[in-house]
Amino acid sequence: MSRESRPDGGANVALLEAMSLTKTFGGLAAVKDVSFKVESGSIKAIIGPNGAGKTTLYDLLTGIYLPDEGSVVFQGRDIVGLATHEITALGIARTFQTIRLFPEMTVIENVMVGLHHHTRAGFVKSAFRAPSAMREEAWMREESLRILDIAGLEMQADNLAGSLPFGQQRLLEVARALATKPRILLLDEPASGLNAYETSELGEIIYRLRDMGVTVILVEHDMGLVMRISHEVLVLDYGEIIAEGTPDEIKGDPRVIEAYLGSELD
Amino acid sequence: MAGEKGGKEAAAGSRFLALLKRNRALLIFFLFILVMPLWAENVYKTISLDFVFIMRLVGVYTIAAVGLNLLMGYAGQVSLGQGAFFGIGAYTSALLTLKAGFPVWVGIALAIAVSALFGILVAPVLRLKGHYLAMATLGLAIIVFVFLREMTWLTEGNFGLSGIPSLNLPFTSITGFDLPFIKDKAQRPELYLQFYLIWIIVFAALILCSNLVRSRVGRSMRALHQSEVAAEAMGVNVSAQKIKVFVLSAALGGLAGGIYANLQGYIDPNMFTITLSISVLTMVVIGGMESIWGAVAGAAVITFLPKMVEAIPKWVGDAPKWLERYSNYEGIVFGLILVLTMIFMPSGITKGLSDLVRLRRSPFVNPFRRKAVE
Ligand SMILES: Nc1ncnc2c1ncn2[C@@H]1O[C@H](COP(=O)(O)OP(=O)(O)OP(=O)(O)O)[C@@H](O)[C@H]1O
Ligand SMILES: [Mg+2]
Repeated sequence: MSRESRPDGGANVALLEAMSLTKTFGGLAAVKDVSFKVESGSIKAIIGPNGAGKTTLYDLLTGIYLPDEGSVVFQGRDIVGLATHEITALGIARTFQTIRLFPEMTVIENVMVGLHHHTRAGFVKSAFRAPSAMREEAWMREESLRILDIAGLEMQADNLAGSLPFGQQRLLEVARALATKPRILLLDEPASGLNAYETSELGEIIYRLRDMGVTVILVEHDMGLVMRISHEVLVLDYGEIIAEGTPDEIKGDPRVIEAYLGSELD
Repeated sequence: MAGEKGGKEAAAGSRFLALLKRNRALLIFFLFILVMPLWAENVYKTISLDFVFIMRLVGVYTIAAVGLNLLMGYAGQVSLGQGAFFGIGAYTSALLTLKAGFPVWVGIALAIAVSALFGILVAPVLRLKGHYLAMATLGLAIIVFVFLREMTWLTEGNFGLSGIPSLNLPFTSITGFDLPFIKDKAQRPELYLQFYLIWIIVFAALILCSNLVRSRVGRSMRALHQSEVAAEAMGVNVSAQKIKVFVLSAALGGLAGGIYANLQGYIDPNMFTITLSISVLTMVVIGGMESIWGAVAGAAVITFLPKMVEAIPKWVGDAPKWLERYSNYEGIVFGLILVLTMIFMPSGITKGLSDLVRLRRSPFVNPFRRKAVE
């Protein structure tokens, strides 16, 4: 494929840039002086052993935690200190490592919540079923079905999210995040718990997202998936970056091998 | 073309029929309320249960309960303070109509406003979660009660306020008002008028609330109930949304309280203790969390119960004496109802009954059956 937005040696301005991010939990540095750039249209993987600080890094990027130090610049704007919902509205969406769907709501309702900040109807208009609110409602339903179709979940639209098999719950998390219409999507171990077939489906969906112009950051332990789809890989260990480069460079990096061997011996 | 137009009309007609069909339970209930005064007098004569009289109160409590259900059932924020907003609404309307001479409907409108305002004022408690929030709102209810009792210069404390102007339609006086089915002029036209007035308000509140919970706003409430972090990450301003629901819930509590004061004509602080908060909470739980129409069922059960107990001595000559002093053991009854519902019918009466009718499934849960380990 010939996508112009594919990173080609720094010609593009970074969509997202983290600068010296640090976060400590009671003396333990979960993320230490982490800086990186993500270019528009790329797929960047973040890997590292358990407890390396990957999820914490996501929490810093999405405003769930405030960093002790450092800043996050998204589309030229410093977003540290903004509330999570404001960051989502700017165009950063995420999924959760431990699934956090709204289990008692239907599949389509889950996705419709993702469209929340694209719609306006407040308490009064909703209670009185104002025409504008009804139009929004119809639009949300249509749009959600379209997004469910991308994730291959349209047949499940009216089932409770909590009743889906595990793999489909993961996909629904992606669909729901997609509904916020992000510029950049942060996936936290989306393939964990998926079987081989579901994992390759997920890979297809991520490709399709990139074609739709969504930039993707992927935290993942499934090395097959990471090496197959990412343009760039960043390796964290004990909260610090130990390597960064193309999948091929990373595969041969002795520090990476050591970090992974070290963790496997545990 | 004519045929096309006919087709359109037919489509609109069938859509209207579909609307009626979808809301048939509501329709049936509406008719039930509409014709209640026709048979209520006879029922009163035979079994000593004054339906119209009691149903006015059921209406009042329904409003308070539906407000709490939005907050607790849908948004998942447990509050033991609904009685406080009820009390503030009652005193606002009572003082304004009694002492300042405001028309009753203005008094009630301001009762809504003052309760909502108080809701905004205390909204920071929403930063607390779960049991802590329940405790803080319980504290709120106690504080409001103490203030109502001790600010004697305004509220006249335990003496209460009596002679509160009675609930009627704006700009009309009750005298000379005739309802076609009241043959006996000695009957109580005021009672019937109040009954209809209250139920018009109740239906309006219930319809608006059920629209609300099925909208974007309702979904965001249910979402933040199930995962605050995920709701935030989906772009929902969780803390703002919680405050708005809390204030709406307070406003509905205030509305109920305002109507109550003008209905009873007399109020004192002991009507608005934490027992009131707990009884509204009981209504929500037995009616069913996340159920707008459950509020009616819950309010009906809790309101009819004491009246039925009161009526028992009139049915059977030798009823035991202790039975008559309902307020003495009211707390035990609430507690029992709460515990039994939570164990045997955790989704409430309304959901239980609709499951029974629609799915032919028993509404009871067997608490002794072992659940699959998750
Ligand atoms: N809220 C918290 N309080 C205290 N310590 C925390 C907290 N969150 C994370 N940590 C610690 O920070 C470190 C990094 O955790 P994090 O969850 O970010 O790792 P991870 O790379 O996502 O690991 P995994 O691959 O297991 O998901 C761990 O040592 C963890 O115990
Ligand atoms: Mg993690």
